[in-house]
Amino acid sequence: MFIERSETVLTSGDDSSLVVDTLYDQTWGHSAGVTCFYFDFAARKEQSATNVLGSLLKQMVSGTGKIAEEIRQTLREQKEAPGGRRPQLVHIVKMLQLITSSQPTYICIDALDECTVVERLRLFDSLKEILERSPCARVFVTARPHIRDEIEKRLAGRVTSVSVGPTRDDIVGYLRARLSEDETPDAMDEVLEAEILENIPENISQMWVEKILRMPSYIVR
Amino acid sequence: MSGSHFIGPIAPHPAFVQPGPAFLFFHRPSNNDTQRRQLFNRTSSKHSKMSRYTIKDNTNCLNTTNSITVQNNLTIADDRFQLLTWLSPLDPGLRHWDIQERRVKDVGEWLIGTEEFRRWCGLSGEGKSDKAVLFCYGNPGVGKTFIR
Repeated sequence: MFIERSETVLTSGDDSSLVVDTLYDQTWGHSAGVTCFYFDFAARKEQSATNVLGSLLKQMVSGTGKIAEEIRQTLREQKEAPGGRRPQLVHIVKMLQLITSSQPTYICIDALDECTVVERLRLFDSLKEILERSPCARVFVTARPHIRDEIEKRLAGRVTSVSVGPTRDDIVGYLRARLSEDETPDAMDEVLEAEILENIPENISQMWVEKILRMPSYIVR
Repeated sequence: MSGSHFIGPIAPHPAFVQPGPAFLFFHRPSNNDTQRRQLFNRTSSKHSKMSRYTIKDNTNCLNTTNSITVQNNLTIADDRFQLLTWLSPLDPGLRHWDIQERRVKDVGEWLIGTEEFRRWCGLSGEGKSDKAVLFCYGNPGVGKTFIR
């Protein structure tokens, strides 16, 4: 399933953060849980599938429910096992399955493309295992477009894809806002402004819009 | 504040503990982000202070009832904190607040209003979608600038 939407501008981060807050509001008073994780390219070494899923589990067991207490006990036993082993992915997935199959759970993952390929594939496999066991679990993912084929293949039959991005009007609106902040307004006239508003949205890719707009206005000219 | 409810930097400040989802360590969105962050910071620094006290208390002889009570609470708190840290060193809470604070009002609201979103999260009353995964994709960059 694929729908095209571009009414407004989102980054993955805003998107996920908004979704997390919305889910939190919507599930208020219900027996449901909301967890999230934000990937960051700069931290990709630490953001392994094990650590990421561990972080989600951590959020879930931070609750004070009965299940959380049982899980905490299991974790304590593992932690205190001879040799002081690290948390194992297989155990974390099992515990996530246990929690998500007992109450509706939302998992929001932001900027999945910033995860390394190997860890991403591990994450997909783990999410698949969780979803197979937990019909009430819901996963929200944001990423750059090139991840689409991968996620639709790895989580086949479970994915609804939505395209987000700015419209031409969004870009013009943004340009107007930035031009009004111009630190050298004398250098701007109506003709130049019209030219910018006409040409930039037409000729520029999304990535470059940001790069150019971050430059001082005299370089743009 | 009961020490046993303290689970480390990701724990909500007790002032915010109220009925809600079974688990969510982020707070309900409100206009009190700044106040919330201040409280969060206070909680964090309190915790590091508490940890230091624990080490100190262990090496010193405690001879007042008060100190012993505090130590007992800290033992429980630290056990949980260590357990959760062991589980994963990663803490997305701060990142969430950071984005939440910078987010422009109404940006992205359209997504929440779509049938796809409502069906995905099962809140539309039309029955949950059989697709458990909602994948939003787009190029990075522009949006970030838009919300500055």
